Amino acid sequence: MEGVSTRGVLSHLSLLEDQASSRGSRVLQQPCRVKELKAKVEALTSQRDQLKAEIQTHKNLQKLRPSVDKRRVAGEEEDMDVDSESSELLRLMARHSELSDLLHAHHLIGGYDVIKTRQGKGMCFSLATAYEGIYLDTYNLEIDLKPKVRITRHNIPPFIPLNNLAEQSDLQTGLRAFLDTVSQHLNAFAGRKQQLQLVKEQHKSVEVMESNLLCSILVLMFTVPKEKTHMLCTLEYTNHTRCLPTRVHLESEDKRLPDAPQWKKNCSLLTEVPVHRALTAIRKSRDIV
Amino acid sequence: MDDSAKRLLQRLVRRIPTQMLRDTLDKWERLTAKQREFVDFTQSKWTITQELLAVCEERELSVKHIAELEMIYVIGNPNQGMWHTFQLVDAEDDAHSLELVQFKEQFKSHLSELKRNVAVKIKKHTDEAVWIRIAWGDTFSRPNHLKATYVVHYLQTPFVFVSGLLSKHKPLLLQALTLSTRHQGIKDANLSGQKLTAIRDLLMRQYQHVFPTKYPSPLAERNRSVSSFVHLDPHIENEQAEASANRHRMAGEAFGNGMLPALQSAVYKLETKFRDLTNETMTERDKPLRCVVKFSSPNILESLRHCASTGIASTPVTPLLSSIPLKGRNYFVITDNAPSASSQMCQTQD
Repeated sequence: MEGVSTRGVLSHLSLLEDQASSRGSRVLQQPCRVKELKAKVEALTSQRDQLKAEIQTHKNLQKLRPSVDKRRVAGEEEDMDVDSESSELLRLMARHSELSDLLHAHHLIGGYDVIKTRQGKGMCFSLATAYEGIYLDTYNLEIDLKPKVRITRHNIPPFIPLNNLAEQSDLQTGLRAFLDTVSQHLNAFAGRKQQLQLVKEQHKSVEVMESNLLCSILVLMFTVPKEKTHMLCTLEYTNHTRCLPTRVHLESEDKRLPDAPQWKKNCSLLTEVPVHRALTAIRKSRDIV
Repeated sequence: MDDSAKRLLQRLVRRIPTQMLRDTLDKWERLTAKQREFVDFTQSKWTITQELLAVCEERELSVKHIAELEMIYVIGNPNQGMWHTFQLVDAEDDAHSLELVQFKEQFKSHLSELKRNVAVKIKKHTDEAVWIRIAWGDTFSRPNHLKATYVVHYLQTPFVFVSGLLSKHKPLLLQALTLSTRHQGIKDANLSGQKLTAIRDLLMRQYQHVFPTKYPSPLAERNRSVSSFVHLDPHIENEQAEASANRHRMAGEAFGNGMLPALQSAVYKLETKFRDLTNETMTERDKPLRCVVKFSSPNILESLRHCASTGIASTPVTPLLSSIPLKGRNYFVITDNAPSASSQMCQTQD
């Protein structure tokens, strides 16, 4: 133990000796070092001033924003002490920052977001789809603004009738309405597709007899344990902007079964609740396996 | 088993590789397990044929059943032969709610009205594709199962893929398709290729597109493929890194990222006037110089993307090339009247 501590002390002493000798050489470097530090101080000061100015502008903008909304008279801005030209500029900047924040919020709640392309001559929209709190695919649309508003490029699958929708809501004047409709169609499609996926995962005893790419029709085969028979269930989703079916039709070898009160209840449940959840409930009530 | 069934079976055994033949027979489910074991797949194809013929005779299978076997094989191996794409236009109001059962009935009835003695088989595949096999006959002869036409269609999309169609049957097939899908017309989509999966993925947009975006997609992770090979060693700095990154971005935006559908050719038929200042004789001619340019590659979209990202082809990518994925076609006719095409032509000749 003593050997270790002696070694420790000795090495510490030699370390101190090195530091002392190097400090001696460092005395010569001090003026350069001082110059360096002074330059750094200046740079930091100017950065601080810049940041202070930005904060001030932001504060002014914040004050201006509610006034932009309610269009107050210029007189109320006197307390900020600016002349009319820069107040105009500040108002524009306020409006711009308000709109960017709105867009950001829109993006956060799962709406579409937009970016300018081709030096302002075009725009690219990103439409996100989600169902039951899970983000699904994102689709994109690139649109040219000049000379006419038209869609140039997109990755929307062909069973979504994009051209029909574009014709219905005149692109030149109703671009937002068009995008809202497309987003509705895409979200509903993503929802229906996700429901089908969940049915396949969660209800392996239910056989999927027919489906299609657009997920607008679904035919399921149930096994009814009590009557030892099968039930064919057809779900038609004729409204392509909705995730719930417009019509549910039940058929069985036992002709009277679909009219039984229990099954009438199940039928209406399937029109009101997403199919994977309805099936969980129906299976729980032991009507189907 | 009649002659045509025997001939078809012989053809199939010759055509299908032995291992796949075994799997296809399993899927076919027309032979018992014992019968399938009876066939010795290690023997020559001729022996296999004889054994299969014997087994099929036992089961009293007809040409319709053998046709089923062929269909199973083609559905499982669609990237053979030559597929041509057609596009349905002017949908009626009820086209979008067309059901499979409706379509099947209507197609069969329309086609048999147009031509007698056709054998039609329709099968729905798990990926929602509707496969149709047509053996054509006429008033005097029975359906010829050796030269069947195959049609693939996805309901609620405007595209139809056809293989093995003779020109004399084309108007009949197209009319039956148009009527049964509730449309008013059908046209050539100018997209053809050997790989059905490639042309289908291209039209269904089933590959990774690249769009300019402010925020990365909520599910996407950072894509490092572009910059990673540049910055593996931090001591190596790439000259013109920005230019290279720009080229990669533009190539990606034009063609897409990742694996691209394996289109194998692009054909440009030129009907433009000859332009070369050093060759007056040719330039003086009034008539356009007719010329066909064909690009071939195991995967032409990846080749073109590589050309653009490495600088072999100039960026921004010329519309002549980017039209392939954008418009979903690989056959173009370039005339002098098309403003974008001709201006590009002028540029490339500088």
